[in-house]
Amino acid sequence: MSEEKSFPRPYPRVPIHLSMDDPEPMYRQIESQLRDFILSGQLEPGTRLPSMRALAKDLSCSVITTRRAYEDLEGEGFIRTRQGRGTIIAEIPEERMAAHRREAVDGAFTEAVRTGRRAGLTEEELHDILEEILHRDDANVHQRGTS
Amino acid sequence: MNGTPVISLREIGKSYGNFELGPVNLNIEAGYVVAVVGSNGGGKSTLIRMLMNLVQPDSGELKLFGGIYPDDEVAIKRRVAYVPERPIGHDEMGANSLGEFVSRFYPTWNGRLYEDLLKRSEIDPDKGFGELSKGIQRRLAFALALATGPELLLLDEPTAGVDPFGRREMLEDISRFINDEDGRTVVFATHVMEEVRRIADYVAFLADGEFLGLHEKDALLEGWKIFWVDGEPEGDVRGLVEVEDGSPARIVSCSPQETAEVLSAQNIRILRSGALDLEEILSHLMHRSREEGLAGCKSV
Repeated sequence: MSEEKSFPRPYPRVPIHLSMDDPEPMYRQIESQLRDFILSGQLEPGTRLPSMRALAKDLSCSVITTRRAYEDLEGEGFIRTRQGRGTIIAEIPEERMAAHRREAVDGAFTEAVRTGRRAGLTEEELHDILEEILHRDDANVHQRGTS
Repeated sequence: MNGTPVISLREIGKSYGNFELGPVNLNIEAGYVVAVVGSNGGGKSTLIRMLMNLVQPDSGELKLFGGIYPDDEVAIKRRVAYVPERPIGHDEMGANSLGEFVSRFYPTWNGRLYEDLLKRSEIDPDKGFGELSKGIQRRLAFALALATGPELLLLDEPTAGVDPFGRREMLEDISRFINDEDGRTVVFATHVMEEVRRIADYVAFLADGEFLGLHEKDALLEGWKIFWVDGEPEGDVRGLVEVEDGSPARIVSCSPQETAEVLSAQNIRILRSGALDLEEILSHLMHRSREEGLAGCKSV
C-alpha cells in the first residue's frame, strides 16, 4: 500500500442533501442534484467526483445507493468512471446541454399549463399570464441590475 | 447480492443451555460493510466468534472465502482480522512491541498505516497495553487489525468505551479501509444505531438468537413509512405494521405503496407521510418476528 492509499487525496465535496421525507428514493435524489450541478456548469468537465464509498460516507447512505446513482449518470453520459482513476464529470456536447436545459423548462411549463387548465383558464388567459410574468420578471431583473 | 460470497452460512445453529442461535442463513459479498445488530445476549458475539472458529456451530455449513474450518483455517485466517469484544492478555506489551510481534505473522503488514493510526489515536507507543484506558485499548486493537492488511475485518463492538471523537475517527478509518482497495469487507457487531446509520450497507439482525435476515439499509429506510390518516383502516391491509389510534391516526407500513392503495380504496385520506428512523424499524422487525412473522416485510 502506498502512502496515497492511506491518505487519500482530497476530493471536492459535493453539496448533495438527502431528505428522508422526499418521496423520491435516495439514489434519484443524488442523480437529480448531480445532474443539476453538471447542467448548470457548477461541476465542470474533468472535475473529480468522490468515490462511491466516500460519497456514501458523506451522505450516510449505503454504497449500493451511490453506485446506483453513478451507474445511471454514467449511462446518461454525464460522468465517466475509469478503473483505478476514479469518477469524473464527462465532456457533454453543447447541443445536449441545451436539450437538457430545455427539458427542465419544458417540464415546468407543462406543469403550469396543466395547473391553469385545471383552474379552468382559457388559452388566451394563459398567454396573458405568461406575458404578465415575463414583464414583471424583466422589471425585477432591471431593478436588480441598477441597484 | 450475487457472485462468490466472502461469508456463507447455511442453516447454522448453536445452543448453550437455554439459549439457541439460528438457524442462520447468510451470504455476504465482498465490498460491503455489514452491521450485526440486536439485543444484548442476542447472539451477535457468538456469530462473530463462529466466523473466527472460536466457537463451533452445532449444525449447518460455514464457509469463508469458499473454505471451511478446520481444513482451510490457516489460509482463511491470513485474510481475516478480528477485534474481539474483550482484549486478550498482552498487558505488559506496548504498541511498538505489539506491532513488531503481530507483523511477523503477516506478509501484508502495513507499518506506515500502523504508525499513522497510533499517531492519530494519540497512543503512547511504549506504554503497556494494560495501562491504557479502555477506549485507547480498543483503538490499539483496531489499529493492529487494520495494519495486518486483511480482506475481511471482523469487529465486535469496536467502539465500546471510545469517546465520541475517537468513535468518529474509527468510523472514518473503517470507510477508508473499505474504500482503499476493492474486494474488502467489514462485519461489525454493534448496538449503536448511529454507527449503523453512518457506515453500514447491510444490516443483519439477531433477536434473542433468532436471525431476522440481512437487510439493505437504504431499502429499509425507504421501504418503511409513517402515514398520518383521518380514519382507521379495516380488514387485511398489506404492509400494515402498527396502527396508533387517534385523530389523526398514525400508521406504520413496511410496504407503503400497497398500504396507500388500500387506504385510498377505503376512502381514508393520508394527511401526512414521513420516514421512520432505523431504530424504530428494527424494533418493529423484532416485535413482529415474535408475534406474527414478517409477512409482507421483505429482506434481501
